[in-house]
Amino acid sequence: MILGDLLGTPVHNDDGVWLGRVADARFVVDGAPHRLMADARLLGLVVSPHSWSSFMGYERNSLTQPWPLPKLLRWRHRGSFFVMWEDIEVLGDRSVRLRPGYTAYSPALDGNGQE
Amino acid sequence: MKRLLGVALGILTAIGGFVDIGDLVTNAVVGSRFGLSLIWVVAVGVVGICVFANMSGRVAAASGRATFEVIRERLGPRAGLANLSASFLINLMTVTAEIGGIALALQLASSVNYLLWIPLAAVAVWLVIWRVKFSIMENVTGLLGLTLIVFAVALFLLKPDWGTLASQAIPAVPAEETGATYWYFAIALFGAAMTPYEVFFFSSGAVEEGWKIKDLIQSRINVLVGFPLGGLLSVAIAGCAAVVLLPAGISVTSLSQVILPVAEGAGKLGLAVVLLGIVAATFGAALETTLSSGYTLAQFFGWSWGKFRAPAKAARFHVSMIICLLVGIAVLATGVDPVLVTEYSVVFSAVALPLTYLPILIVANDPQYMGKHVNGRGVNVVAMVYLVVILVASLAAIPLMIVTGAGA
Repeated sequence: MILGDLLGTPVHNDDGVWLGRVADARFVVDGAPHRLMADARLLGLVVSPHSWSSFMGYERNSLTQPWPLPKLLRWRHRGSFFVMWEDIEVLGDRSVRLRPGYTAYSPALDGNGQE
Repeated sequence: MKRLLGVALGILTAIGGFVDIGDLVTNAVVGSRFGLSLIWVVAVGVVGICVFANMSGRVAAASGRATFEVIRERLGPRAGLANLSASFLINLMTVTAEIGGIALALQLASSVNYLLWIPLAAVAVWLVIWRVKFSIMENVTGLLGLTLIVFAVALFLLKPDWGTLASQAIPAVPAEETGATYWYFAIALFGAAMTPYEVFFFSSGAVEEGWKIKDLIQSRINVLVGFPLGGLLSVAIAGCAAVVLLPAGISVTSLSQVILPVAEGAGKLGLAVVLLGIVAATFGAALETTLSSGYTLAQFFGWSWGKFRAPAKAARFHVSMIICLLVGIAVLATGVDPVLVTEYSVVFSAVALPLTYLPILIVANDPQYMGKHVNGRGVNVVAMVYLVVILVASLAAIPLMIVTGAGA
């Protein structure tokens, strides 16, 4: 599976209720260290109920300019949330199903792009 | 002293490099049909390209990334590819128009059919891209393009009634034109002044020349002085057409009509100079657009690019430019009128403008790319006003093209 194909895939909870679509995948770089960079590890997916288009970098809270673009872009992704890889039960071609009792984290990142 | 010379040279090449086949044709068409009543659009376009070029130059200097590297990073591969396709096709159309422009100007100089000049022009463009140093290429075509000042000289020699000419400069739809054609040509003129390739080229050129933050002051002076003066050249082209062609009821459909007022005002010598100027301006723009097509592709796909690398080290970059030139030749070989290609290319440039403008605006506000060189408040206010203007022009262009039958 190519990660890019996952973008836009519908996401359901374990009861089959539609939650949104995959808008982004987040990685942490904490795998086996190499000369330039350590291996990346998939931390989880961002699910957005209104649009699976790019956040254009405005998932970082520190970005506030130019008015009113950040407001518009965040409004377009209102209700979006982040789920950890551990909370994903099935990762299929046509849909993603979350485990019962999954935790929905805020998709926002602080100034340095960390959680 | 050396610094002063550098600034002067930069300004002069920015003036000479501002005008291309799109500006020549569109300004003359507009002048011959609308007089100076659309001249305000040139001012709007010049301020816009200053804002845009200033932002993309700053992004390139601060982050070391050119336009399409930024677009790829910000939009992701899919939206980025859609963006690339549209921008690239319109740029290819502009390449075709510029090569056609060189050939038409050479036809006027030599009486040899322009179709025979097309392969020669394209090979010359390729040779320069292949062999000539970036700075020499820029400076020579820019300085020779300055000879287009002959349009301003001719305007004075034509001794127009300046009062009447000035009174034409008030925005108003002429009696024989409709509101739709007026706004269609407003968009065309805006697209001609704010062609996207100028920005691909400007930001990639900044990377080619290895700009650092300290070079930004010079580039800002080049843009803020050079482009408005280049805009004045555009106004002179429209003015010549308004003085000679509008009263005679000639609406411009060919390059020979564009230079007719110069021949009338400045005689044979003027004619020789204007032909030199048009060849230089279109040749310079052909180089810039061809390079831009290579830049956009290479930056998106992550190929090594740039004239500062030997062609063997940037093989895909060079091959893609050769293919673009061949496509341009093939399109022109069908006998399609290069002036018509130009008229469409400026309108489609306006359509595609938001695709590159918005990502640059966003990244210019991102401290992770820009450090402390993010847009200031004042720049952002102007930039947001222009975002609205650009979006409106982009959305209105195709409906207006259909309603007016492409301005017929």
